[in-house]
Amino acid sequence: MAESQSSVAGRLGVPISLLILTTVYVAAAFQIRPQFSEGLVGPRFLPLLAAALMYGALFTIIWKERRQRTGGESGSLIQPAAIVVATAAYIGVFKWLGYSLSTFLFVFALFILFSYQAGRPVRRVIDALAVTAVFYGLFAFVFGIRLPVFPGLPL
Amino acid sequence: MSFFFEVLQGFGALAQPEALGFMVLGFIIGTFFGAVPGLTSVLAIALLLPITYSMDVVPALVMCASIFMSGMYAGSITATTINIPGAPSSMMTAIEGYALMKKGQGANALGHAALGSMIGGCVGALLLMGLMPLAAKLSLLIQTPGKFALVLFALVVIIIVQRGEIAKGVVATMLGVMIATIGIDVMQPIPRFNFGTEVLVEGIDMMPIIIGTFAISEVLYQAQAHSASLKLQVNEAAAKIRRRDFLPAWSEIREIGLFTYLKSSVMGYGIGILPGVGGSMAAFVSYADAKRRSRKPEQYGNGSREGIAAAESANNSMCGGAFVPMLMFGIPGDPTTAIVLGVLVINGLQPGPRLLESQTDLIAPMFASLFVSALILIPLTLFIFGPWFVRIVSIPRGLLYACIAVVALVGSYVATFSVFQMGLALVFGILAFFLRKQNYPTVSLLLGFILGPDLEQYLRRSLSLSDGNPLVFLTSPDSLFFLVLTGLFFYFMAVRKPKEPIPA
Repeated sequence: MAESQSSVAGRLGVPISLLILTTVYVAAAFQIRPQFSEGLVGPRFLPLLAAALMYGALFTIIWKERRQRTGGESGSLIQPAAIVVATAAYIGVFKWLGYSLSTFLFVFALFILFSYQAGRPVRRVIDALAVTAVFYGLFAFVFGIRLPVFPGLPL
Repeated sequence: MSFFFEVLQGFGALAQPEALGFMVLGFIIGTFFGAVPGLTSVLAIALLLPITYSMDVVPALVMCASIFMSGMYAGSITATTINIPGAPSSMMTAIEGYALMKKGQGANALGHAALGSMIGGCVGALLLMGLMPLAAKLSLLIQTPGKFALVLFALVVIIIVQRGEIAKGVVATMLGVMIATIGIDVMQPIPRFNFGTEVLVEGIDMMPIIIGTFAISEVLYQAQAHSASLKLQVNEAAAKIRRRDFLPAWSEIREIGLFTYLKSSVMGYGIGILPGVGGSMAAFVSYADAKRRSRKPEQYGNGSREGIAAAESANNSMCGGAFVPMLMFGIPGDPTTAIVLGVLVINGLQPGPRLLESQTDLIAPMFASLFVSALILIPLTLFIFGPWFVRIVSIPRGLLYACIAVVALVGSYVATFSVFQMGLALVFGILAFFLRKQNYPTVSLLLGFILGPDLEQYLRRSLSLSDGNPLVFLTSPDSLFFLVLTGLFFYFMAVRKPKEPIPA
């Protein structure tokens, strides 16, 4: 019973979040101030129409999901959440640490999260260095793109 | 007539070493992404999108076309050998191909899949090249109210093809439309939904949405998915494949019949023109049609070569069809062409009949790439790399997805040299991950994002030109035509549902 309730909660998470998002969107739509009148179909019209359709579809989904016993995919969110944290950290330090160091650390973190080369730390480090170097070559040399560098270092 | 000369010149441009190199590279990338379950040609082109900022437009488009064609074909490889379709459009091929594989005729099935893909791809590309001038002339007849009705038709089709999940289709599409409304209004110089920030005044770029929806969400999705133990299965399958068995016997081809190849190709092309429908629907409809009129229907499900031929001809021919609405109206026929549209826009090319009039030299090599990829690269790749194809699925996931994450994120950065774009890609990746987990069609989100501004612009322009009279949509013949078409589609697909289930 508890499992069934948590499954329903999981399935309702997306529509309820979107419902809140749509409400914020509608509130912002009413703050649009047109420079000139276009009649009914002005700058607010499509946003409000899209929001109305969204509400209708979301309430239909919530009504259906409450009746349905199974559906959607379950599974632990720990792994994806860890990847989101690693990615956010990578984005945060990308310019500050430069491409090479930040990408090496990011790839190494992903290897750990995907259990790649588990129990072989040296191989993991070598592969992370290789991935960093290969994509540096691709972006910097093949496509001539200037990537951020660590202050005082050439790469 | 000049168009055909320019198309021929496109073949000449494709023969230049740079364009040729990018076509072959694109084909190899597309084959890899198409063959590995979970990766698709859409993801391959999405990853390529930021790089196109630093490429010339011709090699970028040539590469996109070859990725599209090879990705569509390569899905049949793992579908046949280990019963896991590399791409959703290869589901029908998996049914018949794997049945043949179990009988020890896997190489033969791969040969038939390649032949069907080759014929379908060539027919699709030829129809695209041959009918393009006509499509351009027809598109000139469509006025602003007609364009609104056409975009509306596209959005309705995108939603109703989500069979059984129409509400989720509406949510994903409207979410895309809502995201597209962020930024400066389409008619008046006022910002909308910027929430007092400056960064949102310019609106949301297509690139972080594409990277987030297709690349970041895939990495998150795969992080959660449990990896099946494919290694043993792969080794067994690889051992059974010999190069000499790839060539289909003439008697088998005659049994399938030229009519099956051609009819499936034409059907695939036609389905490709419909917005948001894609290769899965093309393969299914052609497969179902071939089964219905087959002389040996009992073979279906047990290894029908005719079924493979019909499905593969149709899904590869769809590639040609999908380019028509994208090039003429900026309405993508499928997610891959949606991203190719991004490549065009990034390079300052505006879809429409004028693109064909004034910039055929840029578009023609892409058409040529579609044709050459189908005619030469599909059979050549099968013959050269065929025995090793199946082994590519055994690449470690950690390595694969780490590479995808790096290309996606650094790619988002290099497009505009903005860390904000990387952050947006992550945000859309998280959003798409949760949507995918609950079976919301994320492709609809992208198509809603692309079509939303067009819908709004044409609607408001039409009304402003007719002094706010909404009857303009009924009195304008082109608009009326598309509105009736929308009504018919809605009736046949949503009200009077087909008996056989159609994959979305």
